Amino acid sequence: MATPSPPAAPAPADPSPPPAATLGSPTDFLKGVVGKRVVVRLTSGIDYHGVLSCLDGYMNIALEQTEEHVGGTLTNRYGDAFIRGNNVLYISAAEPL
Amino acid sequence: MDPASSAIQEPFDLIRLSLSERVFVKLRGDRELTGVLHAYDGHMNLILSDVEETIMIVEQPDGAPEGQNTVNVAKRKMEMLFVRGDGVILVSPPSRT
Repeated sequence: MATPSPPAAPAPADPSPPPAATLGSPTDFLKGVVGKRVVVRLTSGIDYHGVLSCLDGYMNIALEQTEEHVGGTLTNRYGDAFIRGNNVLYISAAEPL
Repeated sequence: MDPASSAIQEPFDLIRLSLSERVFVKLRGDRELTGVLHAYDGHMNLILSDVEETIMIVEQPDGAPEGQNTVNVAKRKMEMLFVRGDGVILVSPPSRT
């Protein structure tokens, strides 16, 4: 009934903490970018530039002042746009948080 | 508080505010719809009436270099349409004023 002994080596000290701007969970990031300019890339490669008005747990997204870019060229503008979350590859902040 | 953004707390609010309005829908498979939105649900299944579907058919002739594709556009009209939600990429309501 011997209990396993603790690891011999102590846990290595944390590397230097990341800069404050990188702290926080993905959720914190998403909360932080609401109301900011973002770039949403879909899995198809299409980019949507706009102001993030809100998003939900499925990553459905409401964007304002939306510009659709395909291969770097502007292809469409929408005043508002709802993007279904399953198509989203990433959300990138396009202005400082 | 900005009255325009205060109306929207979650992305589906954008769709709710578009009921009975003509909306633009971007679908998988290079298809687009415009029609009057009658109903939707959490899957983004949609009921549209007075619908025009635009189908982009990209053809790359044999041996043609990249970027020399010909794009044919086919259109058709339907009185009433059920759209399965998983095909939806983007929904854009008429601009709110």
